[in-house]
Amino acid sequence: MEKENNDKLKIGIYELTGCAGDALLILDCEKELVDIFNAADIQSFLMAKSDNIDEELDIALVEGSVSTEREKEELLDIRKRAKTVVAIGICSCFGGIQAAFLDQKEWEKNFKKIYGDTKMTHTKPVQSKPIDAYIKVDYYLPGCPIEKEQFLSTFNRILRGNPPELYRFPVCVECKWNENDCLLNKDIPCLGPITRAGCGSICINHNLPCVGCWGLVEEANLTSEFQLLQEKGFDYDFIKKKMANFSGTGIADFLGNLKGDKK
Amino acid sequence: MRVIKLNKENLFPFLEVISEKADLWAPVKKGDKHVFKVVDDFSKVELSTTRTILPPRKIFLPPTFSMFNISEKGYEEDFSHVTKKILFGIHPCDIHGLLTLDNFFKQDYLDPYYLEARKNTLILGLSCWPDEYCFAKSTNTHIIEEGFDLFFTDLKDFFLVWIGSSQGDDLIRLKPEFFDENLTDTDIQTYIRWQTERDKAYKWGINFNALPDLIELKYRDSLWEKLGDACLACGSCTNVCPTCNCYNIMDKQFLGGKDGKMIRYWDACTLEEYSEIAGGENFRKKRADRLKLWYTHKLQAYISKYGKPSCVGCGRCIVTCPVDINVRTVGKALLGEKEDAFWLRFNKEVTK
Amino acid sequence: MKRISVEHLARVEGSGGISATIDGNVVTDVKFSIYEGPRLVERLTVGKTPEEVVNIVPRICAICSISHKYAALRAMENALSIKVPSKVSLLRELMHLGEMIESHSLHIYYLALPDYAGFPNVIAMASKFELEVKIALEMKEFANHIMKTASGRYIHGENPVIGGFGKFPAREELLWIKSRAIQFMPFVLKTVSLFCELDYPDCPEEDTVYACCHPYQNKYGLAGDEIILSTGEILNKDDYKSLTNEFVVSHSYAKHSRYKEKPFSVGALARVNNLGERLKGEAGKMYKKYFNRRWKRNPLFNNAAQALEILYAFERIPKVVEKMLKLSDPAIVKYNTKEAKGTGIIEAPRGLLVHSYEISDGLVSYTDIITPTAQNAEDIERYCSIAAQKLLDAGEEDKIKDRMDLVVRAYDPCISCSAHMAEVKKAPAEDWKTKLAEIKKKASPIFVGVGKRDRSDDGAGIELALKLKKLGVSDVYLESELVDYKIPWKYKGSRPLIFFDAVNFREAPGKVTFLPLSYIMNNTRLSHKFLPFISMQMKYKHLKNAYMLGIQPESIEEGTKISPPVHQAIIKVLKEIKN
Ligand code: SF4
Ligand code: SF4
Ligand code: SF4
Ligand code: SF4
Repeated sequence: MEKENNDKLKIGIYELTGCAGDALLILDCEKELVDIFNAADIQSFLMAKSDNIDEELDIALVEGSVSTEREKEELLDIRKRAKTVVAIGICSCFGGIQAAFLDQKEWEKNFKKIYGDTKMTHTKPVQSKPIDAYIKVDYYLPGCPIEKEQFLSTFNRILRGNPPELYRFPVCVECKWNENDCLLNKDIPCLGPITRAGCGSICINHNLPCVGCWGLVEEANLTSEFQLLQEKGFDYDFIKKKMANFSGTGIADFLGNLKGDKK
Repeated sequence: MRVIKLNKENLFPFLEVISEKADLWAPVKKGDKHVFKVVDDFSKVELSTTRTILPPRKIFLPPTFSMFNISEKGYEEDFSHVTKKILFGIHPCDIHGLLTLDNFFKQDYLDPYYLEARKNTLILGLSCWPDEYCFAKSTNTHIIEEGFDLFFTDLKDFFLVWIGSSQGDDLIRLKPEFFDENLTDTDIQTYIRWQTERDKAYKWGINFNALPDLIELKYRDSLWEKLGDACLACGSCTNVCPTCNCYNIMDKQFLGGKDGKMIRYWDACTLEEYSEIAGGENFRKKRADRLKLWYTHKLQAYISKYGKPSCVGCGRCIVTCPVDINVRTVGKALLGEKEDAFWLRFNKEVTK
Repeated sequence: MKRISVEHLARVEGSGGISATIDGNVVTDVKFSIYEGPRLVERLTVGKTPEEVVNIVPRICAICSISHKYAALRAMENALSIKVPSKVSLLRELMHLGEMIESHSLHIYYLALPDYAGFPNVIAMASKFELEVKIALEMKEFANHIMKTASGRYIHGENPVIGGFGKFPAREELLWIKSRAIQFMPFVLKTVSLFCELDYPDCPEEDTVYACCHPYQNKYGLAGDEIILSTGEILNKDDYKSLTNEFVVSHSYAKHSRYKEKPFSVGALARVNNLGERLKGEAGKMYKKYFNRRWKRNPLFNNAAQALEILYAFERIPKVVEKMLKLSDPAIVKYNTKEAKGTGIIEAPRGLLVHSYEISDGLVSYTDIITPTAQNAEDIERYCSIAAQKLLDAGEEDKIKDRMDLVVRAYDPCISCSAHMAEVKKAPAEDWKTKLAEIKKKASPIFVGVGKRDRSDDGAGIELALKLKKLGVSDVYLESELVDYKIPWKYKGSRPLIFFDAVNFREAPGKVTFLPLSYIMNNTRLSHKFLPFISMQMKYKHLKNAYMLGIQPESIEEGTKISPPVHQAIIKVLKEIKN
């Protein structure tokens, strides 16, 4: 039986600055889409429907990082309206690729390079940050993009009032489950040990090193990974950039405190 | 135990015949390593492998599998991972590994998921030749007297086949014409020569007898901190070890009132989450403490209980850990033989 | 307006909107804005290795992530002089076809059809269009499956790498894809009929230039090394800047493009318009059956073109698979070039996509990415303003919002953008004052008076100009002084050009309206030929910086007397300009 909308939890799915990949992934759950719409009252989902309303919400899923003043306001408003806020995707959780300019000056320089001095009339840009730089986030669902099964089971748990259950270990664990021969041992720079599991180690399954797209795992031993890569002959700057590609603001402290970086 | 002879060229035809009875798992190539896989093309079976990337326990307890189906009606056990299997090409150390697992899973309470799978799998062992990482002679797991249904010793032109169980014997009876019951003196001489040569091929070893004491004596040694600094906490050593057996569970729920599942997956004591208890408190927050737990378990606790280490000398941790923390380096460091230069560097800072 | 064409923002497929401002009977402003924040993706790539850049750039847009990866790979391989084995090209084509089907089916079924059928979303539509929704979901799922098989996952798969693939799919997987594609054919044909037979409104209809990749060997296709235009011109990919030639607009984080001073369109409709004759098989038959001249003038037919391309893709997949099965899996091609530059072009689902890189000392030193939506932005604004004015003229103001939605959505800028977000604003009273003040703030304008002094109020423009001259304001001209229409353009478009004219907007006499000069082309009731004529002569950058201040006349009878309300208006304008 289809439930009446007023018995269902009210859900909003929002996109800030990102690639829309996480929202698209939700649409990619073709088999489950009907269930998703039946299980919850989807109040706002710009990518999927036109009759969107912005009222009180039980759960807000937020994709993307905050990159303009307007997005900041939108986010604060979402927080006010929603009982639970879930960050989906690494842009939202950690800042994503666009947060790789680690300091404000560098960001301003790069902004100028692209837009020159044109004054933006519609909304003021700010340096990209994860959403928890502005609001309290209840749950994080990392990934770039998020993974289907993980999303579905998490979504369902949240609907039932349970916190998400996610893997909290590095990609290496899934990589071993898939019985791959470790690439680091073949001197290929793999970021598996410092990257959060959940993707199913797909890159290594395809004989390619992990580039870290799920963001840093909680207990990433960055020093050891850095040392190891140096040990294998990789260049200091190369490793630094490689580690920063997807980790957003999460790696700023580590990289900022590196010895031998005199800038 | 009955021993018979099988000509080389009859091996694959024999495997083909028995594979009609059950899925046949055997070592095949993956990149430049090997893995156990269900085979139907017997030309792909590798006879001269050393270790597979994952130990054979994956065949009994896959890295993740469903334990229960959950529905409105309640829980229903899910044994879909249990099917009739024949495991061919498993080496003595790995058979010892299974015997060790048997001890764990029969210990306090029986683990039906393991035991059912075990019951349904025939073990067809195969002799091996050590490479520079094997040290099964130190753990006395390089030879095997129990724990198999058939065991094939590869003597170049022929196999000597030990029949370890009546189920093994039943397999032989499917094609008795492939086998020769009469061993000649030369056959026996060849076997003895092979055995002596093989013993000599083990290039290194560890004195495991000394380790339980040393672990106690060096429990607060700075060595552990250095190890902890280097450890990536990637869980690889644990995942590849044939005697590790910890697991965690997670429930997967599906939308729209459909059934859920209780998933069981390999856990590792070297991972942060492992020692975390409800409420978020972690009593082994430090990697050094977790490593200490792992090695204490392998090299001390199990010895006190069963009189032998729970390491079977397969060498997997040695070839797997990217930062060289393994039974060899840790064992040698404890013995004061040689502290491995590689991970000793890791208490330093990263520099340009 | 400042023009910068060095570097620009890549990410346009994000949230945005279109707004039209209506002042009385006139649409005075249409803006297509991307609100989505700047990600500076091109700058992020600088200093990274080519491999890392190929990892990062697909994150510009999930819906086109495969196309971005493909374009980046082609650019890098061109730069590094890598020739990939044919099995690599075939698997890339397969993943690209997968993306085409996924993106088009998502667009036409999830987004467009609910619009035409009057439902808020695809799931709600299931109640009435059960079969269509089922086809849509299954088609998209199949396309996702192809992308996952070829690239590693649904979105942002990392399997395609410079020089080849990490791993090739197994024979059985390819065979499955082939047989499934064949099974799908009846539904695909149904899709084409459905979308080619939809009743597309005939407004807006207007000519434009279409651009797309020029595929090899005279075939229909989605990749090439040249760009072909509907004018018949062919450009080499390395000269892409002469086509795309981007500039920053202050109302959007996406840059705009134009070709030879004119806006142009890219996308499925551009491809079918430029290359449709080359379609073979069922797609060829369907093209012959449905194609007509309206496709060339009406952006709404993009949905029909997308359906046709889905059919093309489904017919192409079995052929690609057949060829792949005959070839063995090649290793990744290695390279050791450290200094290089190169460009790669590809057709993303929504049109021509250009990636261009420079590599120095083994690291990327310059990146230029031009997305389809950046190229379409100008035409989107243009078609929306045409539609808005036409509907306003026909007294159907209430339809403007939905129609603009349809136009924007037809361009398929991306799904978040194409969601309903059109906005129709009523201009506040005396809006012309604010507009004029804004223009004056940017740079001091040049004024031109237009009209006929012997036709009473029709002389208002001239009158105004003469009064300004008398007050000593510089750079004021009369229509008659524009010998060869050359004078004002000596300012190279850097200063705004404001024409004064009496224009019948059917408003109260004396009402002042201020609007971009380009919009007067949309307005059919203009009495003077002069302004449309002159705006045809103008370069696009001048036109974009030219405006008209129109005063509603009371009478245009013969005589020189200016009516009191028009006279008052002239005085008001004078005061504003002097301010
Ligand atoms: S996390 Fe990845 S998939 Fe999600 S919006 Fe950001 S770039 Fe896109
Ligand atoms: S290949 Fe990468 S992910 Fe896999 S075990 Fe090695 S380091 Fe970890
Ligand atoms: S880059 Fe790493 S985390 Fe991302 S998909 Fe590949 S293996 Fe997984
Ligand atoms: S500790 Fe190492 S050598 Fe010993 S059984 Fe485990 S993986 Fe093999």
